[in-house]
Amino acid sequence: MYTDPILRVEGLRTHFYTFAGVVKAVDGVGLYVNSGETLGLVGESGSGKTVTAQSIMRIVPTPGKIVDGTIEFKGKDLLGLTEAEMRRIRGKEIAYVPQDPTTTLDPVYTVGDQLTEVIMKHQHVSKRYALNKATELLRSVDIADPHIRINQYPHELSGGTKQRIAIARALSCEPSLILADEPTTALDVTIQAQILDLLKALKEKFNIAMVLITHDMGIVADTCDRVTVFYAGQVCETGTTEQVFETPKHPYTEALLSSVPSLALRRQKLSVIPGNVPNLIQPPSGCRFHPRCSYARQICIDKDPELESIGDGRLVHCHRWKELDLKSAVAS
Amino acid sequence: MSVLKYVLRRSLYLIPVFFGITLLVFTIERLAGDPVQLYTALNPHINEAQRQALRQYLGLDQPIQNQYFTWLSELFTLNLGYSYSSGLVSTLIVEKVWATLELQLIGLALSLVIAIPIGILSARKRYSLLDVTITNSSLIGTSIPVFFLGVAFILIFGYYLHWFPSGGFQSTIPSQYPYGNVVLDQLWHLVLPSAVYTLALLAPVVLLVRSSMLEVLRQDFILAARASGLSERTVIYKHALRNALIPIVTYVGLYFGGLLAGAPVTETVFNWPGIGAQFVVSTTQLDFPVIQAIVVLITLMTLIANLITDVTYAYIDPRIRLE
Amino acid sequence: MTTTLSPKKRESSRGVSQWALAWRRLKKNKVAIAGLGVVGLFALFAAFDGWPFVLTRNDHGLFAIYPPECIPPACAGGSLSTNAPPSLSHPFGTDSYGYDVYSEIVYGTRAAFVIGLGATGFALAIAVLIGLAAGYFGGWLDNLLMRLTEVFLVIPFFLLLLVFLQIIIKFSPSATGGLWLVVFIIGAFSWPGAARIIRGEVLRVREFEYIAASRQIGASANRILFRHLFPNVLHIIIVLATLQIAASVLTEAAVSFLGFGAPNSYTWGQLMNIAASYINQAWWAITFPAVFLTLFVMGFNLLGNGLRDALDPRLRE
Repeated sequence: MYTDPILRVEGLRTHFYTFAGVVKAVDGVGLYVNSGETLGLVGESGSGKTVTAQSIMRIVPTPGKIVDGTIEFKGKDLLGLTEAEMRRIRGKEIAYVPQDPTTTLDPVYTVGDQLTEVIMKHQHVSKRYALNKATELLRSVDIADPHIRINQYPHELSGGTKQRIAIARALSCEPSLILADEPTTALDVTIQAQILDLLKALKEKFNIAMVLITHDMGIVADTCDRVTVFYAGQVCETGTTEQVFETPKHPYTEALLSSVPSLALRRQKLSVIPGNVPNLIQPPSGCRFHPRCSYARQICIDKDPELESIGDGRLVHCHRWKELDLKSAVAS
Repeated sequence: MSVLKYVLRRSLYLIPVFFGITLLVFTIERLAGDPVQLYTALNPHINEAQRQALRQYLGLDQPIQNQYFTWLSELFTLNLGYSYSSGLVSTLIVEKVWATLELQLIGLALSLVIAIPIGILSARKRYSLLDVTITNSSLIGTSIPVFFLGVAFILIFGYYLHWFPSGGFQSTIPSQYPYGNVVLDQLWHLVLPSAVYTLALLAPVVLLVRSSMLEVLRQDFILAARASGLSERTVIYKHALRNALIPIVTYVGLYFGGLLAGAPVTETVFNWPGIGAQFVVSTTQLDFPVIQAIVVLITLMTLIANLITDVTYAYIDPRIRLE
Repeated sequence: MTTTLSPKKRESSRGVSQWALAWRRLKKNKVAIAGLGVVGLFALFAAFDGWPFVLTRNDHGLFAIYPPECIPPACAGGSLSTNAPPSLSHPFGTDSYGYDVYSEIVYGTRAAFVIGLGATGFALAIAVLIGLAAGYFGGWLDNLLMRLTEVFLVIPFFLLLLVFLQIIIKFSPSATGGLWLVVFIIGAFSWPGAARIIRGEVLRVREFEYIAASRQIGASANRILFRHLFPNVLHIIIVLATLQIAASVLTEAAVSFLGFGAPNSYTWGQLMNIAASYINQAWWAITFPAVFLTLFVMGFNLLGNGLRDALDPRLRE
């Protein structure tokens, strides 16, 4: 048995060895998830959220490699497992829902085929049993006429349906943790709401822990219990949604919150974080956010801060968190 | 729609194409001039009256559209007429077609069986020394002309090493059969030419398999399959390969048509008694019935190869069936 | 607050011409550069009579080029020796007529370029016209042209080529211009594949918004075709041309090898045809032309493949 948190990541470094140089996509990430809880990973594109999720499942595509860190799942060190052992965990204990529903299903096989192969792989049951189970799964993600859908091919289905199928596949072997990578980004707004509600309902019904990757602060506010803010391959801060939104401790979080357009702030200009996303082959020295940070000091240029625990379950990655009094643009 | 319906639809499409081709072949031939004239021009012993009689006999004095339709109807009843020199055309062809098909099909099958695993291996171990070696050798291999391979093989393995006969289908003297066995003798003669055919197709297919696999392996659904805990073997052979096969099927279909048309050269080099070699002989003699028949036959074979390609497509990729 | 924009970022906002980019990419491809080198060497060979590989002293000790009508000892000294193995005076030996194989190969190089460039020019001219027209105008024209192309593609053109040549060669009054005839016929049959590919590119490029914008401002079809579409399909034309040169030379060689080539022409295929019957006694007479043919074809193929990778628009970032 294990004690919470169900997932604990510390000091994760995943680098990509490309012709252009070594891309330090994830460079010192730490986070944790408790059972039954939803953790949001939020940040700009390219900030390392997806690579972190892939690292947890150890499916980082070449030329990427996990070069450092610990990943503990239910007390087991995932980085120490063999590939065969890891395969027993993927899809069964930890499941992944990738970003774009239009490309996560193999176009040449039926939906049923793709669901049953996962079920049969992990549960060693007959094809007939698996097919029944798959049909039930489709029903549980609110797909109408599941017995028809199950024999259809991906190109015959809408984006929303495909995403539900991807979720169904993730749930098929009753995992304890789901990593959902921007599950709604590629969908229409109306479908987005449905999918999020579905995820919430399923999560509660089966008590699954979830890591939800998104760049939409609204979704975080709505669905996540806790949130981790990413920037340039590192974690800026972690805390409960309330804590981070009401009292941000990292300048980047403050900037993010204030750049969310809101109808309530009618008269103000849309604020933008000045500068560009840093080059991950040659990241800025010291704290990676310093070139764009309004509070930067010499120490921020010289030295990379630690990811400190500041009590109450909060973690912050900033030299000056104690001194700064950051305002949240969305605090109630 | 089902595969069967797709096949039927595509076959229907072949018919106008086939007619177009027969028309083209016929036109080109007649454009060349009066067949009797051409055939007998260099023979001083035939006078004009005899030529005229010959024309009447062959039905060449009919209006041209009648000639075309007569020919077409004969084609359909498989009456291919008489060669000017060697008897019934159909007998001639039936004797030789098997030799050609044997080579083509063996070459095709062997090269696919060898090339696909190599291509997959190269894709999986991208950037490794193995991959670089395979890729570069294949690149060079695609540029080597087929008949150079043929000539080289004959010289090396036939004349110098004496490992294999330097041509022909079968030894002329039974005492030369290995272990006195006819079948073994034929196989022995088969080795070099089919090796050449196999190698000719091997290099481009390896490169194609590799690049197609690389393309497919980058896709999201492969990542999703791995994330579901499926074994590497399932991911590669069940999911990746089937998706990767689509461009490969196209290419092999096209290339195979090219190989068929190139049969005259390879068969001449190896002294192989197939319809390619026969074509060369008949063309030298301007023996039109044979020429026509072989051209139409090879065209038909190409069309069938295309049809098989299309059908395989539809079987592999359900998205195609909707078109 | 300090904001640092590295100088590198500013530089990359200036456009680099796509040809320069392509050239850079090509340079990295060692195999393609090898191809380019081979092609260059052959070009030198053809232009300068094989110079600098030729130093004209006659028989004793150094290479000499004999013009094709010349059988020693009628010219340039040396003895009449048929099927002589390679030696200092005849580095690749002599063939069954007594001609110096090396000289024949050099003259063959010129013929190869004539064939390659001629047939390719002709074939691509047709292919570009048809591909552009079919791709741009679409509709019934496209349909018609594509059906026509399909019929042509299915026909075993090589076989028909042989028939044509046989008829013409038997009955043509003189052999001069014979080579051009072969060039013409090869070109006339080689356009379908290229036309289809060009049409595909046109279809792809046509959807670019700036083409639609041009149309809306009322630019004439001609203007759109030539100023906008054509430059964008140029890259594929270059690749097709390079590969077609190799294919044309190969086709002519095959045709000549079988004995249907233009008489009195000095192509490598012809040499191999003459030498084929003496393969036992004089392997050099067939092998060296075959080697040169292979190198020529390989050079263009490797270059063409390299160009395809270097010019691929999808790799442009």
